[in-house]
Amino acid sequence: MKNWRYIAYGAIAILAILFPFYSGLYVRQVAITILIYLALALSWDMLLRSGQLSFGTAGFFGLGSYAAVLLHLSGAVSPIVSILLGGLFAFVVALIFGVAVLRLRGMYFAITTLALASIFMLIIRNFPALTGGPEGKMLPSIIFGGDPSKIYWLALGIVFLAITVSEVFQRTRIFFALTSIRDNELVAKSSGLNVFKYLVFAFAITSALQGIIGGAYGHMYGFVSPAGSFNVNFLLLPLAMALLGGIHSTAGPIVGAVVLGVLGEYLKLKIPYGHHLVYGAIIIIVTLFMAKGIMGVVKTRTRSAKKSEVRE
Amino acid sequence: MVLLKKLYQKKYLMPLLAAAVIIALVAWKPYVLVQGLQRGGLYALIALPMALILGIVGIINLAHGEFMMLGAYFVYWFCIHTGIDPLVAMTIAFVAFFLIGAIVYLVTIKHVLKAPELNQLLLTFGIAMVLTEFANLLWTSQARKLHLSYVYSSAKVGSLTFGTFGFIYPVAAIVVLVGLLVFLKYTRTGQAALAVGQNPRGAKLVGIDVNRTYLLIFSLSIAIVAAIGALFLTRHSIFPAVGSPYTMKSFCLIAMAGIGNLTGVLWVGFGLGIAEALVLSFQGYGGWADVVFFAVLVAVIMVKSYRRKIA
Repeated sequence: MKNWRYIAYGAIAILAILFPFYSGLYVRQVAITILIYLALALSWDMLLRSGQLSFGTAGFFGLGSYAAVLLHLSGAVSPIVSILLGGLFAFVVALIFGVAVLRLRGMYFAITTLALASIFMLIIRNFPALTGGPEGKMLPSIIFGGDPSKIYWLALGIVFLAITVSEVFQRTRIFFALTSIRDNELVAKSSGLNVFKYLVFAFAITSALQGIIGGAYGHMYGFVSPAGSFNVNFLLLPLAMALLGGIHSTAGPIVGAVVLGVLGEYLKLKIPYGHHLVYGAIIIIVTLFMAKGIMGVVKTRTRSAKKSEVRE
Repeated sequence: MVLLKKLYQKKYLMPLLAAAVIIALVAWKPYVLVQGLQRGGLYALIALPMALILGIVGIINLAHGEFMMLGAYFVYWFCIHTGIDPLVAMTIAFVAFFLIGAIVYLVTIKHVLKAPELNQLLLTFGIAMVLTEFANLLWTSQARKLHLSYVYSSAKVGSLTFGTFGFIYPVAAIVVLVGLLVFLKYTRTGQAALAVGQNPRGAKLVGIDVNRTYLLIFSLSIAIVAAIGALFLTRHSIFPAVGSPYTMKSFCLIAMAGIGNLTGVLWVGFGLGIAEALVLSFQGYGGWADVVFFAVLVAVIMVKSYRRKIA
């Protein structure tokens, strides 16, 4: 039973890796976008598992984007290295701010992270000499010479990285630490858990992931700008995807991202303006009616199916 | 000596400091004072309805600025089609958005009041996004503006010429503030709201209809902020994303003033408005004015968290 599951995972992974060989250019482009948002959704969910709701995804995404592109432009490093350095930069910034911000809880934390994202954007916009100001910066050439298959594999690699980190978060002692903080922080603390350390750690790791994703995104499009790289979409879409799929798990955000990514692409063609309405509506509907998302519904269904089998 | 000792007391320190800053500004850059009061008045005005629901009954609404945006569009649409003045259409917006607020409360907010705070944040964030995109869909992202002649009225004091219409914001803020204070203190619904905010269960025990109180206060806050949208429209151009910065700025003012302190919102609003106008008055550094707000927000929340005033 358990082996079947791993075989299925392996099959999906191989299908995903071989995807460029049996798909058209357009489909590949859509897949790249979905993978980017999928990784963001996972990174957002990882911090949510500790009970902290962050609105800062777009901020660290943009920081990583700018760091990677500017580092590459300075001529010292190759694109891949600059993407990783973008992640490192986001990690360091998150560590510095995390020490302060993670003293906050609930709405204070959520809104301060939202404000941080705005601060990053404004600071970058106000240093035209370094960052190109409101117009942003353009790379002379796109990563891999713009080869869509290689870009797809880069995005897929980042998704595998995010899944690995997420599974580490789920299967090691980090899981128990974060879950106990979410359930009851006071009890967690009095059981000898260093709550603050774990929260800062989770915040920095997820921000680093967002930085790496941002860096890759910057190189894929060869372009960064305050309005584009810090766009609210990099917050709205991952939130909607993770919520729809089901939070507090690895599978949830993946399922949500694929479902919503395909649906969103279809809607983009149908209603070019305002198709984002759907993402907001999904956030509302999920918080109101199905707190555990698609995966939650699937799980309860299979469980009740199993129960009825036993009864028969 | 006695006078000096009294000066050291905190009660007198803040007003004195404020007076000193104002006198310095009048001497140095009087225009900054005028602009700061007008800006700060607008910030405080928009923040007050949020202070009502967040501070008094404890509902966090991240779609606050978006409701103002929607109110402004409503008034704009009304004025274009019927030709009446936005200041008249304001009353219609108030009534219409009272009903809209009630519907939004009954359909959504009501169901997450007992859930963890995160659900409220997520839900209202979703509502904010839906409202913005709804406006995008209906009116596109093109900026719109009403052209009103009386907006450009100006006055001259000494060598300084400035627009007088902008003072409508601080005046309106004071009117709304006084109105809310009177409402909370002297009406039964207002007193019930205070009781519900302190302890919803206790309020229920003494026979207050908690649900109805939440409904009324939420609808009232939406109605006020939509009516403010009409005032906003008179001076500013509107577009679907115009509201979202004000949600954060409102939260910033409330966090600074302290949750539940309505009067403080006004003072903090003036303070930040003047600070912003001061930054704007330096040529070439205007882009940093917005940073002032967010930096102050982060700083204040941090300081308060270190003092353990907020959890």
